[in-house]
Amino acid sequence: MKVELQQIDKHFGSVHANDHITMTIPAGTIQGILGENGAGKSTLMKILSGFIQADSGVIKLDGKKVVIHTPDQAIHHGIGMLHQDPLDFPPMRVVDNLVVGSPGGLVPNKKEAIAALKKLQERFGFQIDPDAYVETLTVGERQQLEILRLLWLGARVLILDEPTTGISASQRLKLFDTLRKLAADGMTVIFVSHKLEEVEVLCHRIAVFQRGRMVGEAKPPYVTTKLVEMMFGKAITLDERAPCATCDPVLKVEHLEVEDTRLHICDINLEVCRGEVIGLAGMEGSGQRMFLRTLAGLTRPVGGKVIVHDKTLTGKTYASFRKAGVTYVPASRLEEGLISGLSLTEHFILAREQKGFIINRDAAVKETEENIDQFFIRGKPETHVEALSGGNQQRALLALQRQDVDVLLIEHPTRGLDIESSIWIWSKLKARCQLGATIVFISSDLEELLHYSDRILVFFGGKVSEPLDAGTTTVDQLGQLIGGLGMKS
Amino acid sequence: MPKTSSRWLGLLFQVGAVLLALLFTSIILLLVGAKPFQAYERIIYGAFSDMGHISDVLVVWVPLVLVSAGLLITYSTGLWNIGIEGQIALGAIFTVWAMRLLQDSSIPPVLIILVGFLAGMLGGALWAALAGALRVFGGVNEIFGGLGLNFVSTALTIWLIFGPWKRPGVGSMSGTVPFDTSLWLPMVGGSRLSLWSLGLGILGIVVVYFILQGTYFGLRLKAVGKNPRAAFLMGIPTSSYMMLAFILCGVFAGLAGAVQVTGVYHRLIPSISSGYGFLGMLVAMLVNYQAIGAPFVAFLFAALNIGSIQLPIDLKLDSTLSGVLQGALVLFVLLMDGVRRRVLHKK
Amino acid sequence: MQKRLWLIVSLLVIATMALTACTTPATPTATEAPVDETLTFGMLLVGPYNDHGYSEAHFVGGQYVEANVPNTKMVYVDKVNSADRPGTTPAQLAEELVAKGATVVIFNSDDMKDSAHEFAKAHPDIITIHASGDGAWKDGKDYQNIPNLSNVMGRMEYGKMMAGCAAALTTKTGQIGYLGPLINDETRRLASSAYLGAKYCWAKAGNDPAALKFKVTWIGFWFNIPGVTSDPTQVADDFYNSGFDVVISGIDTTEGLIEAGKMKAAGKEVWAIPYDYEKACQEGADVCLGVPYFNWGPAYAKYIKAIQAGTFTTGWEWLGPDWTNINNPDTSMVGFDKGAALSADASTALDSFIAELAGGLNLWTGPINLQDGTPLLADGVVASDLEVWYLPQLLEGMEGQSVSQ
Ligand SMILES: Nc1ncnc2c1ncn2[C@@H]1O[C@H](COP(=O)(O)OP(=O)(O)OP(=O)(O)O)[C@@H](O)[C@H]1O
Ligand SMILES: [Mg+2]
Repeated sequence: MKVELQQIDKHFGSVHANDHITMTIPAGTIQGILGENGAGKSTLMKILSGFIQADSGVIKLDGKKVVIHTPDQAIHHGIGMLHQDPLDFPPMRVVDNLVVGSPGGLVPNKKEAIAALKKLQERFGFQIDPDAYVETLTVGERQQLEILRLLWLGARVLILDEPTTGISASQRLKLFDTLRKLAADGMTVIFVSHKLEEVEVLCHRIAVFQRGRMVGEAKPPYVTTKLVEMMFGKAITLDERAPCATCDPVLKVEHLEVEDTRLHICDINLEVCRGEVIGLAGMEGSGQRMFLRTLAGLTRPVGGKVIVHDKTLTGKTYASFRKAGVTYVPASRLEEGLISGLSLTEHFILAREQKGFIINRDAAVKETEENIDQFFIRGKPETHVEALSGGNQQRALLALQRQDVDVLLIEHPTRGLDIESSIWIWSKLKARCQLGATIVFISSDLEELLHYSDRILVFFGGKVSEPLDAGTTTVDQLGQLIGGLGMKS
Repeated sequence: MPKTSSRWLGLLFQVGAVLLALLFTSIILLLVGAKPFQAYERIIYGAFSDMGHISDVLVVWVPLVLVSAGLLITYSTGLWNIGIEGQIALGAIFTVWAMRLLQDSSIPPVLIILVGFLAGMLGGALWAALAGALRVFGGVNEIFGGLGLNFVSTALTIWLIFGPWKRPGVGSMSGTVPFDTSLWLPMVGGSRLSLWSLGLGILGIVVVYFILQGTYFGLRLKAVGKNPRAAFLMGIPTSSYMMLAFILCGVFAGLAGAVQVTGVYHRLIPSISSGYGFLGMLVAMLVNYQAIGAPFVAFLFAALNIGSIQLPIDLKLDSTLSGVLQGALVLFVLLMDGVRRRVLHKK
Repeated sequence: MQKRLWLIVSLLVIATMALTACTTPATPTATEAPVDETLTFGMLLVGPYNDHGYSEAHFVGGQYVEANVPNTKMVYVDKVNSADRPGTTPAQLAEELVAKGATVVIFNSDDMKDSAHEFAKAHPDIITIHASGDGAWKDGKDYQNIPNLSNVMGRMEYGKMMAGCAAALTTKTGQIGYLGPLINDETRRLASSAYLGAKYCWAKAGNDPAALKFKVTWIGFWFNIPGVTSDPTQVADDFYNSGFDVVISGIDTTEGLIEAGKMKAAGKEVWAIPYDYEKACQEGADVCLGVPYFNWGPAYAKYIKAIQAGTFTTGWEWLGPDWTNINNPDTSMVGFDKGAALSADASTALDSFIAELAGGLNLWTGPINLQDGTPLLADGVVASDLEVWYLPQLLEGMEGQSVSQ
């Protein structure tokens, strides 16, 4: 379906999130959208999919002007959207999830839904059990489910807002295949991402946004440096890696044994030095998150020890881990990291040490302003966190972490950040390492793992590799390990 | 500029909500064959015509505002403390209990009343802690737990009145034997209003306003209410805060119960809570959980309660009409708020 | 947010003021000052004014006064109880009636005792009549010495005796059930009176007094409160299903009668006797043996007239039936309206029993023992009002609880 956007304009108070954007996407196209954090990408997508309304502007589908006020209306017109932050999934089965949103009669036809699901799964090579509970699916599987659901509802325009941030490499390849197939069938795909290499291999054309405006378009062959310049108005290069010298063990893991309903991992041993960065690699759901949460005291290990600063904390509460200087930064920003409905200032008050009983608001606002400047958060002290763009939420989340902690456990530190911000965030994190902090992080971005880690643990099929030296490992080697090749048994 | 215009729009919606609520109630009145304006006039007359009525409104206001204050705390923490009715009752029961134990002693009455109040706070807090423990440690939704505990508290009240605390030889729905007048809160000449309880009501809402607006404690409660998982990861012990919210709310409910005993009924009666728990929930909803509005809305509701007494006397109308109006106000304000948000969104 | 609240509040105030403004002209007519000679009397009814029971009997009494005493006007509030009017006290509601011009206030229920006393003390200029109370009874246990407080009660004992008699004359199984409300002095003496009437007529008909079974089951209150009281429907069913074929009701509602009707429809031979309200039999005429009822009109008319004339003196009165015609609406405080299900023979026997009562028969004459065997009255001794009013237990020969636990 051909999608035309004409003069779309949107203000949020004083923020001009979309400034008279006009673009045309022919049917059968995969349209890439690039832009720094807060450029207005998600806003435009939400307008197209009915989650918010534009102040002014016209949307045409196949040349016909349409009015879209709600997501329901959008899907009725054939527009479906996958969100940047996966919406809360209710505790229900896969089939029910499909059926719930369907327009049909009062009594939904489950059999029909299951049959349709099966057919779609076969076509794209997905393997989701219709009877599984949605909450047990990995992020990647949820995403597949969501795509199937939208297709089943009759979507002919598919919008994906940063779809690859939480999924494994193989799931990503599968996703790309799917998108290509859909485009070949005449569907229109809009793909928002910060990952240039993905956009470059996948998209038939690219639009670049900056501060609410569309500042340029590109067609293959793409020139990466050109795209970066369009996005930021300047060229960007990666910092040089600066490994730490001597080892002063801060965090020790001995014969650690962790398990959940799907996975059992035995005998993890690790000694992390002061100032060291450890990357945890693996496909989504291979146990790296469970391991990280065990280090934070959020999950109890089945056996073994966790030692922080020579103190054995195994079995202790999260609070005692925090007291020992451990902090945990979750991946799902709005579900676990930030509190919707509270302002930035209020977040800083909560995150910082309590001084007395009564809050000194002025001081808190001042500190918030400092952090906003320091972390380039696009927002004001009184802005509610849910009104920040995805990338700015991530910056806020990192800014909130206390200065005095020396073990930082981070899930996907740069998920949703544009390149410039990623580099900048890592420079901040590295600066902390210089001051003696230790970082253990999860990422699905191989480049990030290799570039910023000192050592990497790879999780696969209930096993954990020996720590790899990041400096001497290549992307290919790491990719193979993640895929299970060459893992010692 | 867009800011002020949206504020005016908001105002317009509020007016709309109030008018709709009045319209809705009027239609109901017309359906039962009454004259709406006459009914409203009688309500206003019954609430404000003289000092006597105004003081009666304040007599209702005090427990209502205390209950609303307590509920603001649990609401902020994301908890529906529907067990509030039982907590008021237990506050009253504990107050009566303490005062019965002490009434024949030589302790000065002021002290007995004071102990009664403390006991009431304790009773409310314990009952709330029970609901809290069921929720926090037992995983029982506080709505179901609260309903159950309300039921138990009613049974307990009735049992006490007809059992251990019955009047000599007689069980009576009118309650236990009234306390000696020396154990009544002193009332302003000729009225039923005690300045002490009035002061307590004002103090209560001020304290809650202060806790929620200005303290770390209050902000943490809000954080737990809005996102317990994130709050926990930020290092807030969510279980303890939920328990604290329940207990604090129970303290306020218990105070309301103590006021009902020492200032209004001077004994334990079967429906000692007077339904202020549920009414308080409406107040809290109507003020959108902001403490600043609670005293005013509570006053309005109290005025409706007292004013509507005129309806059966003068117009032979059921006084539950005030309840209809109160419910309609909450409904329409919430409704219009939703509509307003949609409209502002579209713009 | 805070701004918004202020807005709501100020709007409400404005709306309120606007309403007041609109309606102000109407105010004078609504609160019309009473015409000089008109005496306004207020009535506080514990239940709904149309409850077909105790409160309606009072309400009808008030209407009787309005109709029969010139220049009188009734103002009333019904459902005066803390469950129906939460947050209010009877004294507070009485004040509302005073504000409407009432110079006499009638509190109709025993449950309003504390409030009636409190109100009377606070308003020495208002004559306060507490029906069913004993606060103005100099010899009573609860004498208050409040000059403007008066008590009045009907000698329903007689009505209950007639009920008991009708039941005894009708029962085929010799088992009579009594559906009791809550246990107090009044309800004990009423249940006992019913028993005395039953025993007398049972023996008179030539039966063995020891063969009569009379059982009282208390439900816990004057009417059913789900979850709090026993369910009277259930209690009545239990009676009928375990051999009791007549149930005398001591509660305000008519479950006993209704259940009897159902049983009868199902082919059982059972009867019932409701309470309080003259027309109660209407809800089940084919099983109703009759109803003992209060007729408050004449008593109140007498008081109001005396008050108008300035000759009223407060005190405690316990008024019996007019023995020349117990059902005379203008004279008799207590009556018994025979029901359609009462057989002709039984009706005649009941009439002769009533005639005996009228002739001076007093069933509260010794020997009478209390339920636990302690003598209440020695042989030939007639009970005093005090002994009957404050009856401490049920009587020997009755089954059921004497004291609430
Ligand atoms: N609900 C809202 N209320 C107020 N401001 C908002 C709201 N949603 C977005 N904004 C603001 O609009 C601007 C554009 O946000 P948008 O989410 O479209 O950015 P984005 O291009 O998707 O960025 P990112 O790459 O970080 O996700 C930002 O400055 C953001 O703070
Ligand atoms: Mg975005």
